[in-house]
Amino acid sequence: MACFLSRRSFLLTGAAMGGTAMVAAMAGAGYLAAVDMDGPDGFVADDRAVLNAFVTLHDDGRVVVQVPRTEMGQGIHTGLAMLVAEELDIPFDDRISVEHPVEQLAVYANYSGPLRTRPENMHGPLMWTAKRVLSLLPLMNTAGSTSTMGLWFPLRSAGAAARHMLLTAGATRLGVPAEEVTTSGGFVHHAGSGRRIAYGELAREAALVPPPRDPALKPASAWRVIGRSQTRVDIPAKVRGEPVFGADVVLPGMLHAAIRQPPVFGAGITRVRNESEVRAQPGVLDVAVIEGRGVAVVAGSWWQAELAATRLDIDWAATEAELINSAMLASALQAALHGGEAHVHLEQGEVEPAFRPGAAQVVEATYTAPFVAHACMEPMNATVLIRGDGTAEAWCSSQSPLSMRWGVNRGAGWAGVDPSSVTCHVTMAGGAFGRRSEVDVVAQAAFLAARHRGRPVKLMWSREEDIGRGVFRSHAGARLRAALGPDGLPAAYDALVAAQALQQSALRRNLPLDIGGSPNGDRFTAEGLDKSYYAFPGRRVRSRHVPSHVPIGFWRSNGYSFNTFFAESFLDKCALAADQDPLSYRRALLRDSPRHLAVLNRMAALAGWGVPMSPGRGRGIAIEAAYESVVAQVAEVTVATDGEIRVDRVICVIDVGTVVNPDAVIAQTEGGILFGVTTALMSAITLDAGSVMESNFHDFPMQRLADAPDIVVEIIPSDLPPGGAGEPGIVPVAAAIANAIHAATGRRFRSLPLAVTETTGERRTRSVLRDHAA
Amino acid sequence: MQVDASEDKPLLWALREDLGLLGSKYGCGIAQCGACSVLINGVSTPSCVTPIGDVTGASVVTVEGLAAADGKLSVVQQAWIDEQVPQCGFCQPGFLIAVMALLEQTSQPTDAEIDEAVTNICRCGTYPRIRRAIHRAASARPQD
Ligand code: FES
Ligand code: FES
Repeated sequence: MACFLSRRSFLLTGAAMGGTAMVAAMAGAGYLAAVDMDGPDGFVADDRAVLNAFVTLHDDGRVVVQVPRTEMGQGIHTGLAMLVAEELDIPFDDRISVEHPVEQLAVYANYSGPLRTRPENMHGPLMWTAKRVLSLLPLMNTAGSTSTMGLWFPLRSAGAAARHMLLTAGATRLGVPAEEVTTSGGFVHHAGSGRRIAYGELAREAALVPPPRDPALKPASAWRVIGRSQTRVDIPAKVRGEPVFGADVVLPGMLHAAIRQPPVFGAGITRVRNESEVRAQPGVLDVAVIEGRGVAVVAGSWWQAELAATRLDIDWAATEAELINSAMLASALQAALHGGEAHVHLEQGEVEPAFRPGAAQVVEATYTAPFVAHACMEPMNATVLIRGDGTAEAWCSSQSPLSMRWGVNRGAGWAGVDPSSVTCHVTMAGGAFGRRSEVDVVAQAAFLAARHRGRPVKLMWSREEDIGRGVFRSHAGARLRAALGPDGLPAAYDALVAAQALQQSALRRNLPLDIGGSPNGDRFTAEGLDKSYYAFPGRRVRSRHVPSHVPIGFWRSNGYSFNTFFAESFLDKCALAADQDPLSYRRALLRDSPRHLAVLNRMAALAGWGVPMSPGRGRGIAIEAAYESVVAQVAEVTVATDGEIRVDRVICVIDVGTVVNPDAVIAQTEGGILFGVTTALMSAITLDAGSVMESNFHDFPMQRLADAPDIVVEIIPSDLPPGGAGEPGIVPVAAAIANAIHAATGRRFRSLPLAVTETTGERRTRSVLRDHAA
Repeated sequence: MQVDASEDKPLLWALREDLGLLGSKYGCGIAQCGACSVLINGVSTPSCVTPIGDVTGASVVTVEGLAAADGKLSVVQQAWIDEQVPQCGFCQPGFLIAVMALLEQTSQPTDAEIDEAVTNICRCGTYPRIRRAIHRAASARPQD
């Protein structure tokens, strides 16, 4: 029955779930069969030849790589294009450019995020089914530090397949056997006759060559691009002010919209008291209540829309949540740490018996972390056009074209419109950090576009909406216990974390169906707490979900961002309780984890651990394994007698497996460290009367150039497959700083943020440790 | 250039909406982040809080005006490429403007002078590279 189905037809049968298994069985036969990564057959159009879903060749030899991941600052367009250049056997120079594809092909799906493994390692019927579902959607999100991990094999394979097709076309043109031709520098060579043909000249013929099945990939010893820092393809435009972020999308006839959303999450809108007054403001075309989620003003320019929105007088519906403040949320967290049913994530060896009274020295401590916002530099925005014929088009600096499509369908649906198709354009993103996976702003823009059919509507949130009405990383608390054995090392480690579950909150908000699942046992709540690489004979990790009205979203490194602060602060406390040096203590615990130990040792050498520091200064250490990478850091701080804290330097050693673009890994790690320093010292979202108190950078401040520590990053060479690099950098920072403060002052800070921010001048702040703050 | 808009419209929005110059960014609207910075008579100024009525007759330079007319990059922009500074890039136009203004005033700034002059926000954390790029640009600029 399936024999007439080409690989192409598989791609077009996304809706036919019933027939999927059969179709997909056929689809695995092509050049990327090992990962079920078939794309469309090659074809020729105008001046270009599309060799496969990732590689397009122009007649003049230019190579356009389709990178189905969002460039949000991490350099992914460069890193993934490097993989293609390597296997195509061309230098990484200006013949290469990158596009984010508009078509949402099955081959572009991100399997590694949800399935937490690499496509080349996914075997068995369960994985097969899960992959089919993800590729039918397709889920092509940029998240979880998975882009290089997930596309490492497919993009090299795409490059190698393209090279094979060029070789075949070249041999045919030259009339010689395929085994006699080779490639280099963008040519197919025939050594026997000394003849060569440029790739560009062969492009059209190559596109029609049947793709090879599982083309051989270069061995690491032959790499000339991978592992050598390449300048980023997006940077030249970025120094000219040229890239088009979502906020910069301009279309003919475009309308602009500003929004006001309920200050108390979940509160609806009773009425707009002064709608006619606002409608009379200059340039205003529309005032629209969006499904109880906000009130938008549509105008000829954003400035006019925003100015008019400041005049809106809205009656928000009353909700019980307006009684909630930060103190109540904090006590809910504390209550969860001290009672109720807990989900057991992990239990190994003997735990409870080790804590019998008198059995061992018990160390115990409680830690907390606040809600925090993303504050991406580019405020949330989306542009949507719904045409009279029912087709829709969207432009957004989104991390997920699937979220865009769902957002358009949902928002248009609120206005009673069911788009017949949705074309999604992913623009450059001005930071993302998990925030841009949400459907929210796209849905709102689509609702407005449905009211103004035929005209694109760009909705942009003000910074105040972004920080005050955002989604946040959950607050969290932990109670950690260790029973120290005779050697001072934990014989048992018992961790309990309480936080609001991320997955259920995010999925419920974003998926078209409520399949958020149970909030109990959320892996993001507990991630980073098991310290699996430490040799603890007994180990238990439990969590409790603490519900609230605050929406929780993905946020750079999620649970690791608080759990590593908790656990690595606690490890220091254990070391000191055992009267041991924090570095040697960790070394002893890493006796069965050579990869981690190598990172730790290199870092200790680089940081000059043990070299005495002047009074008021201190050094702190922390390590974590996350996103299949291992990262260790030493923070050096100075604490003044008035409590002012400065992070002077952060030394970081990271093992991310095989490195594609070393300079980009270093940049991501530097950026992650600074993100982490800001968060550790400065960031907290607080609530009063159900509403967020912070609104902009004056009260949700950031480190600036003057505050930023010196940063040293060293990459440990590794031949493991690439791990994630976008998030590990942030993970150990807070614990390293807290441990350094303890070394400097003898005081242990167990709540984030560690300091309060005082304003000392225009765009000038200082951080003062909590116990000194006025 | 001429703009036909109300006098209290911030320069940022006149640039972006009336002149189609999209390089200057909106990041906060309250003079905190510097993403909107432009040179007004050589001084780095947050355009989000500068009404266009205030700049009548003034010289305004945006990031689009930093390269030479033939497209050749300024020394500062080149240093930004050499140090691979930008990550997302959204804040970078404002930093480039702040650094242009600084180097006009102080051709070889010390770290303290850099701290004093460059107070923009970069959420991606490009500060170490920005500092290096400023020093690189300072030493590459023709000395008087
Ligand atoms: S947008 Fe003007 S300073 Fe932030
Ligand atoms: S590069 Fe992204 S905010 Fe600075």
